[in-house]
Amino acid sequence: MSFNVDPILLEVFKNGFEAVADEMALILMRTAHSPIVRDAMDFSTALCDAQGENLAQGLTTPMHLGSFRDAMRHLMEEYAGDIHDGDVFIGNDPYLASGQHLPDIYVVKPIFHDAQIEGWAATIAHHVDVGGLVPGSNSLSAVEIHQEGLRLPFLKLRRAGVPDPVLPRVIAANVRTPDLVLGDIEAQLAAAMAGSRGLTAMIERYGAATVRAYGVALHDYAERLARAAFRELPDGVYTFEDHIDGLGDDPKPILFRLTLTIADDEVTADWAGTSPQVAGGINAPISFCKSNVYAALRSIMGADVPNCHGYTRPIHVIAPESSVLNCSYPAPCGARGITGYRIVDCVFGALAAAVPDRVSADGAGGSTLPSFSGRIDGTTFVFSECVMGVWGATSGHDGQEGVPHMASNQANVPIETIEADYPIRIERYSLAQDTGGPGFNRGGLGIVREYRVLADDVYFGVRSDKIAYPPHGLNGGSPGAPASNLLSGSGGDQVLPAMPTRAMTLGTGDLYRHVMAGGGGFGNPLDREPERVIEDMLDDRVSEAHAREAYGVVLSLNGTLDIPATTALRARMKDLPR
Amino acid sequence: MKTSSCIIGVTDMASGYRIAADIGGTFTDIACLSPDGTLTTAKTPTTPGDYAAAILTGIADVAGRLDLPVDRFDEILHASTIATNAILEGKGARTALVTTEGFRDVLEMRRIRVPRLYEPLYRKPAPLVPRRLRLEVPERLGPRGEVIRELDTEAVRAVADALAAHEVEAVAICFLHSYANPQHEMAVEQILRETLPEGTFICASHDVLPEIREYERTSTTVVNAYIGPVVSRYLCALQIRLRDAGVGGRLLMMQSSGGLLDIDRVIERPATVVESGPAAGVVGAARLGGKAGHGDVITFDMGGTTAKASLIEGGRLVSTDEYEVGGGISMSSALAKGGGYALRLPVIDVSEVGAGGGSIVRIDAGGALKVGPDSAGAVPGPACYDAGGTDATVTDANVVLGYLNPTALAGGSVPINARLSREAIERSVCEPLDRDLLDAAWGIHRLANSAMMRAVKAVSTYRGRDPRDFALFAFGGNGGIHAAALARELGMAKVIVPPGAGVFSAVGLLFTDHEVSRSNTFGRTLGPDRALPVDMAATFKRLEDTVRAELGTSPQLRLTWRAGLRYRGQGFELSIDIERGELDDASLPAIRAAFEAEHRRSYGHDLGDHAIEIVTLRAIGTIPPNGPQTIRDAGKPVVGTSGPSAEARAAYFGPDHGLLETPVVTRAHLSEAPRAGPLIVEEYEGTTIVPPDCTALRDAHGNIVIALASRASQ
Repeated sequence: MSFNVDPILLEVFKNGFEAVADEMALILMRTAHSPIVRDAMDFSTALCDAQGENLAQGLTTPMHLGSFRDAMRHLMEEYAGDIHDGDVFIGNDPYLASGQHLPDIYVVKPIFHDAQIEGWAATIAHHVDVGGLVPGSNSLSAVEIHQEGLRLPFLKLRRAGVPDPVLPRVIAANVRTPDLVLGDIEAQLAAAMAGSRGLTAMIERYGAATVRAYGVALHDYAERLARAAFRELPDGVYTFEDHIDGLGDDPKPILFRLTLTIADDEVTADWAGTSPQVAGGINAPISFCKSNVYAALRSIMGADVPNCHGYTRPIHVIAPESSVLNCSYPAPCGARGITGYRIVDCVFGALAAAVPDRVSADGAGGSTLPSFSGRIDGTTFVFSECVMGVWGATSGHDGQEGVPHMASNQANVPIETIEADYPIRIERYSLAQDTGGPGFNRGGLGIVREYRVLADDVYFGVRSDKIAYPPHGLNGGSPGAPASNLLSGSGGDQVLPAMPTRAMTLGTGDLYRHVMAGGGGFGNPLDREPERVIEDMLDDRVSEAHAREAYGVVLSLNGTLDIPATTALRARMKDLPR
Repeated sequence: MKTSSCIIGVTDMASGYRIAADIGGTFTDIACLSPDGTLTTAKTPTTPGDYAAAILTGIADVAGRLDLPVDRFDEILHASTIATNAILEGKGARTALVTTEGFRDVLEMRRIRVPRLYEPLYRKPAPLVPRRLRLEVPERLGPRGEVIRELDTEAVRAVADALAAHEVEAVAICFLHSYANPQHEMAVEQILRETLPEGTFICASHDVLPEIREYERTSTTVVNAYIGPVVSRYLCALQIRLRDAGVGGRLLMMQSSGGLLDIDRVIERPATVVESGPAAGVVGAARLGGKAGHGDVITFDMGGTTAKASLIEGGRLVSTDEYEVGGGISMSSALAKGGGYALRLPVIDVSEVGAGGGSIVRIDAGGALKVGPDSAGAVPGPACYDAGGTDATVTDANVVLGYLNPTALAGGSVPINARLSREAIERSVCEPLDRDLLDAAWGIHRLANSAMMRAVKAVSTYRGRDPRDFALFAFGGNGGIHAAALARELGMAKVIVPPGAGVFSAVGLLFTDHEVSRSNTFGRTLGPDRALPVDMAATFKRLEDTVRAELGTSPQLRLTWRAGLRYRGQGFELSIDIERGELDDASLPAIRAAFEAEHRRSYGHDLGDHAIEIVTLRAIGTIPPNGPQTIRDAGKPVVGTSGPSAEARAAYFGPDHGLLETPVVTRAHLSEAPRAGPLIVEEYEGTTIVPPDCTALRDAHGNIVIALASRASQ
């Protein structure tokens, strides 16, 4: 390229593009209607160049990071020659629009200047319901996408600035919560308009050719940073295997097999050997698989790498056709978030062999997603939330508690607003003693959340994980405690599997109790300083019995460390096979 | 509430002199307003460990120059980072939390989100109360305040005994849904007061923040408790030191919301003063800008480490309650919260970026030039300070460009070695990028501007405001150097640099109202409901009664009502004014219209007849300061120092203008007749750059007003 990049202007443009994407995200969040968008922030915004490659992405949901490229490419090919100033597109379908899953709706606006497309303002948001088998449109029991709700290929929500009169009515008729869905689409539209204004202002300031040139330069710059980061990793072929517990009452484990090849400044993630797609809504389209691999690798690159498409150029993702990571029509995908979490966890699992100091032991595996719905005074309510989260320990510190999964920076929903808005009472929200994986550094404690239902005929479903395959430790650390799901009602207690697929109806007074898995430990627990174990006991994180069994720490009668007993017990435990 | 018994001696007769002290990390700034409106300022090195020492030095200096005995000040106004520092340094009180059974980890789990993405090694800030001091008691309220489980007072007594055994200094009480029913919290507070030693700081969430959302309310109450004893000790000690030194006058402190509060009230409610310094500058901009005819301004406060921006519209400040203390740089609009401790009290909406004079310049692995957020700070400072710093900084670039005095700053008190600036930039920028020195320095200057643009955008375009409709009101040690260039980047036509710009937080204190505000969750839908306006008015009047009781009576007392509204389903409120008085059915359409207008302005659309919720109500009482409402321009330097260092020096204004021989003048050299740039205005506490295609004048209030030529393309 003959163009001479000014490193100063490059930084000016990087700041400028990022400011536009952040502004879009802020407007979307503040105007959104559903808790999942406004509180959980399950949405993303991007400013894309004329080719549909993102120049900047608002800092919201990492697992969306690579999600715009394939959808934008799909849209631009389908509408080549029919894209006009003032058009706004909407779409969601994994197969007809290269989307993620049906609840994730894209609203995308081309940005014109002098009758040329100079860029795109793109948004994606997780909608509270798009119809289908169950409220929330995330049924685990769907066997094909047609059961999952409203499928939208890319369609024009606005034509040259004129709103389509039909589309909102079709959407409203096909979803359970039309006010929330149309309100959130309105919020996405407001964000897209802001993005359009933002890029236009930059073009007016610097000229279209300069903006275009620095878009290209930004991608090249991000690629250089990514390659520099990969070059520092030890070359090699790293393999890793993990599982999702599986579907239904008799779950069959779903295998993830990753071969991660680091060769100089490129990384290839090959998922050969991974389970075929399943008859349940947890299949990932390839775009989602790529997006999560990008997010995982992005997190070992350092903070300064711009979140633009360029950084993904040295990353290659291969997944077998019709597998759970590259599903084919008509495989259902409604609840595929869990698959994304496992993709990220597997990449970290493989990286642990290469750079153990730069990743953590395994965590709780993403969000637990309970959902409750029914009718109150003739109105349908749907309440679902993402319960997070726990991390494994690292070489430097204990696992973090009350944190989102790396792939999805979501917030919890305040208990007081849940209780004000829905017939549900939260009876406990706390850390669960003794659940952190023992280690020199301890895994984070699992989290308990209890829901008391205050109405009858409430449909209930839950997506969780890590009951059969609890979070693994690293460098001699032990796994965290497994997750559990318990339903208590008039019929007594009932232990639920990780992802029940049968219909469950709850009545007034029934209680659902979830305990999230604890994070894995890092290093040998018998090397943990007894003082730190005692600190954990003072904070009720570790019981006296657990301190003895897992850490070999013994207290004397007055509650202080019994040094001889501890030394002797630890010596005996070290001799035992672990 | 326990209050301090320390009272400062009040002189009998008002002198009309008011003095303000703002304690910063490096300097303590003093400003005094005389009855005739003359401003006198001083800057003294901050004295950590005994902050009062610097205040007393500054007061003595100013009093000496005014030939006034130190007991003759009517009011001593104060801004300080004492509360923030206690949190940043983890030096607050040993604090306990008493909360609902089953929920002791609400404080630690927060809202889950973390401020940093893609960081597997991220560590959350430790909770201000460790788990062992978070105690639960059996009780439970429902969302309408109904009692679901009675308070177990026996259990409360056991908790009280445990807290006594732990020797806690402060206790926060927060139960679920206490915003709707304070009874359980009040009962616990009473038992704790009976049991714990006198002097234990105890506060309850229904009193600190009676608003829905348990994490934010708990965290706010805990912050209040955690800093309570520290702030109380500090203010009592300050009173004693002032009294012993014979300094008279009523002592007031700046709140984060932009109003002054008597210090005995501050001691009860210390969480209100967390952002007192930045607030004072913004208030000063609103008052002095307004007096000079500039009601719509964006403030730009650039110091050594960060730059801050805030928006003033129609003379009015914008506040927010989505704030975190101790989270490092505060981007009020930041998406990713969780780096600090939630403090849901009104704070002036200030957006901050990590770019200041001390920001370090480097080249990253991808070959791009970066400015900040690392800072050389005050020690060692920029390379030119010759105090051991070798990194090139923004200040070094400004020395190379000729903007800063090449021999000394601050009237000679900070010597400058320009050679070290040149060497640092040559080493860290010119050589790796193959650029000449001026070009590199110009690049650094522009890059700092591009980072600071984000702070300005965060308070304007992000909120649906176009910066071109505003003037840039610049202050802080480096504000005047970058303001004109920054304004140009943003298409803004005017820059105002007020007198005392380098000590402007202290100046702002002199023009700040006394203020008390109280809020309550309301939680009703705006609709045809006869009871609604009546209930609203009743709630406002109840809040008003509290405000009056705390503020005291004054003929100049002004009361205003505000409400936080949102469309049903949204999670964020927009704040609108409610006309004070009897509310009736006819008031409701006006409220709806005001909300819709604000929604359109902020986000570009409204939602027609979609249901609107009234989430919170707030009553605010203010009393304006006594004395002059603006600065009388004396036409001379506000600090008695000599004139500029030279009559002219070469300064570089980019490739279009090149290196120009630029006159160096003082503010007094400017008059109401516009003078063409380029100019360098040198003062004791700061420098102002007037680029070549701009003009500058000094208005009747002593402000330097720079008019920018219409935007020239670069």
